[in-house]
Amino acid sequence: MEKKIKRGVSIYSYSGEYGRTMDLEDCFKDMHDMGATGIEILANSHIDSYPVLSDEYLSKWKSLCETYQVEPAEYGHWIDTRLYKNRNMTGEEARRVLINDFQIANALGFHVLRTKMGVINGELAPFPEWKEVILSVLDEAAKYDVIMCPEIHLPSLLQDQFVLDYVDFINMTGTKNFGLNIDLSVFQNRFNVEGVVSYNQDTRHNEPEDIIPLLPYVKCIHAKFNRMDDDFNELTIPYPEIIRVLMDNGYEGYLISEYEGINKNVPGYVSHELRKQHVMMKRILGY
Amino acid sequence: MLEADVIQYRGFHNIVEDGKITGFQVCVRSDYYRGVWLSQLRPGRVIVDGELFPWDTIIWNINGKDYTTAEMAENSTDFWHVDKPAILKIKKDGGLSQGFHDVTVRFFASCSYMPPSYDTFDDNTEFTSFNGGTYTRKNMCIV
Repeated sequence: MEKKIKRGVSIYSYSGEYGRTMDLEDCFKDMHDMGATGIEILANSHIDSYPVLSDEYLSKWKSLCETYQVEPAEYGHWIDTRLYKNRNMTGEEARRVLINDFQIANALGFHVLRTKMGVINGELAPFPEWKEVILSVLDEAAKYDVIMCPEIHLPSLLQDQFVLDYVDFINMTGTKNFGLNIDLSVFQNRFNVEGVVSYNQDTRHNEPEDIIPLLPYVKCIHAKFNRMDDDFNELTIPYPEIIRVLMDNGYEGYLISEYEGINKNVPGYVSHELRKQHVMMKRILGY
Repeated sequence: MLEADVIQYRGFHNIVEDGKITGFQVCVRSDYYRGVWLSQLRPGRVIVDGELFPWDTIIWNINGKDYTTAEMAENSTDFWHVDKPAILKIKKDGGLSQGFHDVTVRFFASCSYMPPSYDTFDDNTEFTSFNGGTYTRKNMCIV
């Protein structure tokens, strides 16, 4: 069977241990254990020379990817609009930071970027000038062969106006350098689960089939998870139904684990949860 | 590697200049999962055994470089990484006495991808969230 859907890990998951009880190589080792083949890093967290890419980091990165048979899957970066206490970043400042990230991502071998936009309200609608900023860097994104993907995350919904605006933007410009990252938190349908903190007070959410019309634009999926039981079920997000929809509708790309549950700073805890989640995903995928 | 607590036991000592003790330093790690540009930082007060040191009198040393809080507010090119401590340098004639001290540090970082309310920093509350807050460590030891 062709493995169109691949398993990866965002090492954001290890943020309660990173720099304390785990280093970059420990993250790679752990992924290798569970057969995950793609890594997401957050540039601002996991590149120790950021905003510069040092020769030391680059050579360590290449060696880790080779040793642990892991490929660069997604590069997390930010448009930090609220950069200053008294004013927002300018379009020119945003452009500069973006191009720097494209260059680093390209050098490290990433093509898909999770471009985290600054937002202006509780529904996480992006800053109004996002179109101008993205337009201003499309040529550079093409040059460095990267696809910027804003993340659609709870409490946003897939049919929110700004998601439609992203799709319109892709269709109007015909760009190949802008897409979507869907975080599976938008499908969370259980909220009163012991040990799970709910960030979604009105519990609005999507149904798995809602993703189908967006799939042509989806370049990456965050396999968000909050809590696994010991029978390898995730207790808040309907994984079997979602993965079935993805398989039936031809999604090709990564499911990148992102652990958002408790005990992140307990050594080993997240690694154990990730293992359980990957057992679940393997069983549903059938490989 | 850093200590699990935000306030680090390691790096806590008096500062000697020209043979005189002029203050002390304490190291903190960022409790936010991502590193930040210095202009994103919202530095707050430090309290040692009940004595308050106002936020704008504290020097932050990041990547080996000293910054006043005013300099950090304008600096969007230098970066504080999650795996490196910041050294807070605090003026105090004679420094801290030998033995134990209870230390509290407050700071935040802006997070543009969250609703704007998350970026309201008040130095005079104890509010703590994923992107910063008030941190206390007791029995910090000066030798």
